[in-house]
Amino acid sequence: MTTHLDLRDISVSFNGFKALNGLNMSVRKGELRCLIGPNGAGKTTALDIICGKVKPSVGTVTFDGTALHDLEEHEIARVGVGRKFQVPSVFRDLTVAENLEVARARRPAVWANLRWDVRRAGRADIERLAELIGLTEQLERPAAYLSHGQTQWLEIGMLVAQDAELILMDEPTAGMTAQETRKTAELLDRLKGKHTLVVVEHDMGFVKAIGDIISVMHMGQLLAEGTGAEVEAHPEVRRAYLGSGGITNA
Amino acid sequence: MSPKMSSQAGLSRLGAQIAPIVIVCAIVFALPLILNNDFLLNKVARYLVLGILTISLALSWGFGGILNLGQAMSFGIGSYAMAMALKLKTVPVHTGSGGLPDFMVWNNVARLPWFWEPFKSLGFALAAGIIVPALVATGLGWFIFRSRVTGVYVSIITLATMVVLNLVIIDQQSYTGGFNGITDLAQLEIFGMAFDAYGRATFYLVASCVTLSLLVAFAFTRSKAGLIVQAIRDHEGRVRYFGYDVAAYQIFVFALSAAISGLAGMLYTVVMEFASPTFLGVQLSLSVVVWCAVGGRQSLVGAFLGAVLVAGMQGALSESAAFLETWTLVMGALFVLVVLFLPKGLAGLAQGAWRWIVERRRPSRGVTQSVGEAREGSA
Repeated sequence: MTTHLDLRDISVSFNGFKALNGLNMSVRKGELRCLIGPNGAGKTTALDIICGKVKPSVGTVTFDGTALHDLEEHEIARVGVGRKFQVPSVFRDLTVAENLEVARARRPAVWANLRWDVRRAGRADIERLAELIGLTEQLERPAAYLSHGQTQWLEIGMLVAQDAELILMDEPTAGMTAQETRKTAELLDRLKGKHTLVVVEHDMGFVKAIGDIISVMHMGQLLAEGTGAEVEAHPEVRRAYLGSGGITNA
Repeated sequence: MSPKMSSQAGLSRLGAQIAPIVIVCAIVFALPLILNNDFLLNKVARYLVLGILTISLALSWGFGGILNLGQAMSFGIGSYAMAMALKLKTVPVHTGSGGLPDFMVWNNVARLPWFWEPFKSLGFALAAGIIVPALVATGLGWFIFRSRVTGVYVSIITLATMVVLNLVIIDQQSYTGGFNGITDLAQLEIFGMAFDAYGRATFYLVASCVTLSLLVAFAFTRSKAGLIVQAIRDHEGRVRYFGYDVAAYQIFVFALSAAISGLAGMLYTVVMEFASPTFLGVQLSLSVVVWCAVGGRQSLVGAFLGAVLVAGMQGALSESAAFLETWTLVMGALFVLVVLFLPKGLAGLAQGAWRWIVERRRPSRGVTQSVGEAREGSA
């Protein structure tokens, strides 16, 4: 498989603080890549760079041959990049089905969405999606009434509905119970292959359960890359995590 | 729940949403059978028109999240469009054919101003009463939403724009009738049918427009575009990340809302038999916000009923000896109470009561729900 997403020599600084300092990373199509690292390593900033929320001061981002660093946020979304933020952002007053319907953004123009049959046409799609994320029973419920875990799954489902080829997730299991975390791991496992996933995560057990290849970041740079066992054994990684009880307890 | 069952649930939800509209419209059409008094019928028609105006605000505020404090501007433009056409009809009677509207004669205007010319055609006036407010809203919305202005600043801009237009109309007395407005109008006549302000025909015309406005607004809120507009209200930034052009949707709902209030403005001129700068005044515009909040801004029928009930109450209070001085205080207190205790207005109260009744009558539904959740947890 060839390189799908490629970050080259990315640097960005906030008020003199170098959040990213010459980051290089490439992800293959259909891969589930985990991004870990100590606090302030620049993981979230890396996702911000890919989805256009932050523009790099130096460096290039290419996705499927398209240069993303020149595009606006909604243009990047239309190229097929979906982002799940750390704070769940679903539409609380709308039902689960309506949330998924809004996310099906194949035809974004106003006039195309004034037709009556648009919503009926997508119904089967939405029911399939609800089954995937385990929210079939909640389809007609307002999203405000969902539990924390269900809200996270809904948001992942919305990225799938959006038909995002590349899905970026920032700590999808934060605040989840062990059971919910396991369900999320299953869900991500079903998504990889069809979608390319980049997941920022702290929970090492979760990372080892889902990740093919793990990228470890430190001080705005890529420190190590490899399977779970490989990065754990890596001497640089051990040093970076020194004082925080080793990588497993990070 | 099988897919078929859930789409049935969707259908019954549609039924539950459209039922209040059908019931309210049926009652409105039946009113002339009960109210056997032309004066009272005219008064009720006036409240119904204000109801249409409030539906239009519910669309932009309740569904679009755009608190337009200048909603009466579109209303005023509609009412002047109608008044100009009806005034020109009186020219042959008042000042002889080829003459000018009477107030222009008093102001020594020599020729009919260019912008009055097209209003010799009633068809043009009827179209303009809807299209001009929509175009003005599109232009104003373009500046507001393309620059990503949000929240209270939108309210300030819309309010200020309305005040400017209001002042221009008052100032340009020789062309607009100024402070007096445009009075002494001819009767509206469409296809040989005359609409006397105190007649049944006018009442049914208003009732039809209530139905039309409710249905158009309802159809929009049920469409996917309507859904996206609600999503923008909840979380504007998130919608942008799906690739939608957020400003285009905001401009659209802003313009649709203006078109409906333009229609209401035209009807208001027919019912009141004049147009006045107060129709696009601050007091009316803020009253609409109160009616909308009291009725429930996220419910079209709620907003409509809120306007009819509260405007009716305002009328009754301001005419009663006891509240002659203090009725505005009563209104203010009502608004504060609703904002504090009923954020979804009377409609929210009604929906809550309805859900309570349904759930008490069908306890089995609660059981299946908790079974579903138990399965969720053990998965």
